[in-house]
Amino acid sequence: MQSYGTKIIDLAETNAKDIARQWAADVRKHKRTPTYHNIPEDEVIDQAIIFYMHFRQMFYTDKPYEAAKSFSVKYAEDRYKEKIPLQEALYALILIRRHLWLYAEFQATFITTLEQRQATESLNRTILMFDYVCYQVTERYQELMKAEVDSRLGIIKTLTMDHTEKGEKSFYKTGIIIVALIIAGALTYYYHAMLGTATLFTHLFYIPIILSAMWWRRGGVYISVFLALMLLLSHAIFLEGVPFTDDVVRSFMFVVIGAVMDRLMDGIRKVEGIYKQLTT
Amino acid sequence: MRAFATRLIDFTELNADKIAAQWVRDVKTNIKTYSYHDAPAEKIMRQAIEFYHSFRQMFFDDSPYEQAEEIFEKFADDNYQNGIPLHETMYAMILMRRHIWLYAEFQSIVISETEHRKAIESLSRTILMFDYIMYVIARKYWKIMKLELQEQSGRSTQ
Repeated sequence: MQSYGTKIIDLAETNAKDIARQWAADVRKHKRTPTYHNIPEDEVIDQAIIFYMHFRQMFYTDKPYEAAKSFSVKYAEDRYKEKIPLQEALYALILIRRHLWLYAEFQATFITTLEQRQATESLNRTILMFDYVCYQVTERYQELMKAEVDSRLGIIKTLTMDHTEKGEKSFYKTGIIIVALIIAGALTYYYHAMLGTATLFTHLFYIPIILSAMWWRRGGVYISVFLALMLLLSHAIFLEGVPFTDDVVRSFMFVVIGAVMDRLMDGIRKVEGIYKQLTT
Repeated sequence: MRAFATRLIDFTELNADKIAAQWVRDVKTNIKTYSYHDAPAEKIMRQAIEFYHSFRQMFFDDSPYEQAEEIFEKFADDNYQNGIPLHETMYAMILMRRHIWLYAEFQSIVISETEHRKAIESLSRTILMFDYIMYVIARKYWKIMKLELQEQSGRSTQ
């Protein structure tokens, strides 16, 4: 394997800067890589030089997939940080490969029949490496996108208990909501029946409403309706003669907050779903 | 190049079913195309056959990029809707290309030295088309995702 690739590898290493410069000129005006157009040449050129200097290592290995990975991961991470869209990062790679072969053709590197055969084998090997690089760069980009979404949704993910086991998660969620509802019921009873006042400490009621909206689809609406009915019923039983106005407003607000939370969580679930589809 | 390329294309079209069947076997077991493992064989087989039949159209077109856009935006859309991650779609395409050449090699359609030279040219043309295909697919996935996110954020703020 060592012999057939020597010419193209030597060419890549010896002329890395020249080839990279031609590539940079191309990528900085190519219509399929518009994000590169405003990046200074000095910053762009290194991307190709790194590849051409890495070429020998990737070419002469029994494990080309692993060898390609060390380059691909770094390439993907750097381009992602520079906010280059994936399709442009891939096309820039394609151009890196093309410019190597264009240079080889221009320098008339493969003329004789034997050299032509070597060219075919070298080209096949190069394409194999690029297949791996394209796959790995795409995969890494998606991992990075997922990590970014995960970190942005960090608090919500913690509250939704996404990290706990399924059975365990369901047990804790149900338990917490039951306890919160019991507390809400006890508070309502205490204020209405014992103190005989409608001035109720209802802020705590929002906790089960918000949590259930995060944990179950339409959970916010169901729990808020339940709490609203409980409040109004308790008022009817224990507070005869006291106007309903305040408790009706409170109940209405429970349902509004529950519905809004459900809607927001639908949005977050959808965003998560889109990213999951791309990355899993 | 044309005569050899025509032979390669004729060969691919004529054997589309067989090449597609080998591709299906490959994607259904390859670790890099995990989402295909449980996909219905007939469905993905149809996808591959369609691809091998549209290969001629792309190969001989003066604007292969426009052809790639026309054919593979739909392909990317279907795969996205079927929940196949982008990197797996890409790898499935790579395997589609490889299987053309594997089958051609296996059937020894490249025999003489002159044919060897022409084979390189055909290989280069095939790779050029696949470069476009990769770009079109990645861009389409990105577009769909962006559109869905925009729609979603639009609905959330309504």
